[in-house]
Amino acid sequence: MTPLEILTAAMTGSPAPRIPVFCNLPDHGARELAMPAKQYFSKGEYVADAQLRMLRRYGYDNIWSLHYVGKEAELLGCREILFADDGVPNVADFVIKNLDDIAKLEIPADITQHPAWQPVANCLKILRSEVGATHPICAYATASTTLPAILMGMDKWMELFLLGPFDVRDELLRKCSDFCQQEIAALRTWGANVLIYSTPFGSPYFVSRKQIEQIVMPWMRRDLLPGGSEGLVYYCGMAPFNDVIDLVFDELDIKTHHISPLADIAEAKRLINTRGLTCGVIDDIKMIHWSPEQTRAEVQRIVEIGKTDGHFLFGNGIMPLAVPEANIQAMVAAAFEYGRLQ
Amino acid sequence: MLDAYIQSYNQAVFETDKPAALDVVNQALSDGFSPEDIVFKLVIPAVELMMTLIEKDPDANLAQHFMTAQIAADVTEKMLEKFSKPPEMIGRVVIGAAYGDLHSLGKRIVSGCLKSLMVDVVDLGTNVSAEKFVDTAMTENAQVIAVSAMMVHTATSEKGSLGVRALLQERGLEQQIKLAVGGAPYRFDPELYIKVGADAWAPDGVTAAKVIVDLIREVKP
Repeated sequence: MTPLEILTAAMTGSPAPRIPVFCNLPDHGARELAMPAKQYFSKGEYVADAQLRMLRRYGYDNIWSLHYVGKEAELLGCREILFADDGVPNVADFVIKNLDDIAKLEIPADITQHPAWQPVANCLKILRSEVGATHPICAYATASTTLPAILMGMDKWMELFLLGPFDVRDELLRKCSDFCQQEIAALRTWGANVLIYSTPFGSPYFVSRKQIEQIVMPWMRRDLLPGGSEGLVYYCGMAPFNDVIDLVFDELDIKTHHISPLADIAEAKRLINTRGLTCGVIDDIKMIHWSPEQTRAEVQRIVEIGKTDGHFLFGNGIMPLAVPEANIQAMVAAAFEYGRLQ
Repeated sequence: MLDAYIQSYNQAVFETDKPAALDVVNQALSDGFSPEDIVFKLVIPAVELMMTLIEKDPDANLAQHFMTAQIAADVTEKMLEKFSKPPEMIGRVVIGAAYGDLHSLGKRIVSGCLKSLMVDVVDLGTNVSAEKFVDTAMTENAQVIAVSAMMVHTATSEKGSLGVRALLQERGLEQQIKLAVGGAPYRFDPELYIKVGADAWAPDGVTAAKVIVDLIREVKP
């Protein structure tokens, strides 16, 4: 079976030789090509090349098209990203510097015509042509209720979200939701078939369940209205969200859930059961200081909790660059070994 | 004496309802309590109670932490203007986001709580070098440096907490200035603070204020 078929089997509960094994190495590509991060992210061809090389070397099932989260801010007017050669790029220029800027914020009529989109398009084109028939292609889209955090900073967004003025907040959310709808559609059109829907404000770790139900959920429904939830993964930026799993099924029909390493994986599997796909996620920050043996033991623990009755995928968060390569190899090898189903 | 007010105030904070919390403060003022009473008998006990509640309930959410700090800092600032004489401060902390890190929510929560607990806060903003942390702590006679890092590489970099620790050691300041860290990576690896040379860490902004006050008391009994 191809990795794409193994993923489909895990989602539907069909027989398969093993569970799907995903590995996310979005920031490792620059090191793979021995170039500075800024140069690496400047061309989709570089990102595709590095991701394909790492896919071949480690042998996991998925491939990433994500450049960096700040790419969305660039599509909305951000002019400066702070690149780091040892970690994740940061948004260094907030598009919304004061509340008056919200009225001025314009969502491009077609984001795929924006210069910042071209590296993403080029990357997806190569990935689709090289491995699209056999491997899931992952992409990343930020939910409307979280996108403002990279446009104005998390503290200013939290303040506006909680304290208003609420008409201004809702104007921003409407624009962000329009952007999210466009982005999801564009990523699908260009070949991504696993969309990580990043929604930290959809986690009770960020806001209360009442706020999720009353404020966040209606906007998430709007984000997904045009294209539906096919291929979407509910992801709260590594924050736990077991308490809203049922709500996400009922309100959004998202069937794949990226469970935080801080959450109870057994409880999540019980809640999701055979309705969808549970993604068991290793704490890859601890992997910085673990040995390969400790990494293997943790993979075994997670997989043994999750793989009974199928409907389970093993993965990681956003692998820090400081994690030793031996630990990444140990993680992938252990996931294949303990994830056997037949 | 102000137990009923504290309960109503914290209920409002827990529901992230700032107007309701301010109503409680205004009611206490109109019932004859002084601005000093409001800060020392209402806001500070309320923040301390919130710290205890959050310690017992790790599921308290970020919005609640944010509002705890935001409301307490706002009320304290307004009341301080009305104090008959300036209050005695517990100590001073220099706070900022680590070099390369542009996230400011965490340190804003910590700063808000600290201000309400009568701690002087020198906020250096984001993307702060290790040298700037230590130089400022020396010139400001701070007892604590607090470094916030929301990303793994800014938490573990030699230019972040490890750099601050190296400078404190090099300048012989380790007994006078303590180092606290916080931010998402530390929640995922609770032993990470030791690896980056810090004296203490906290899993959230409200608890961080308590940890920092404890460190100040270690240095300045």
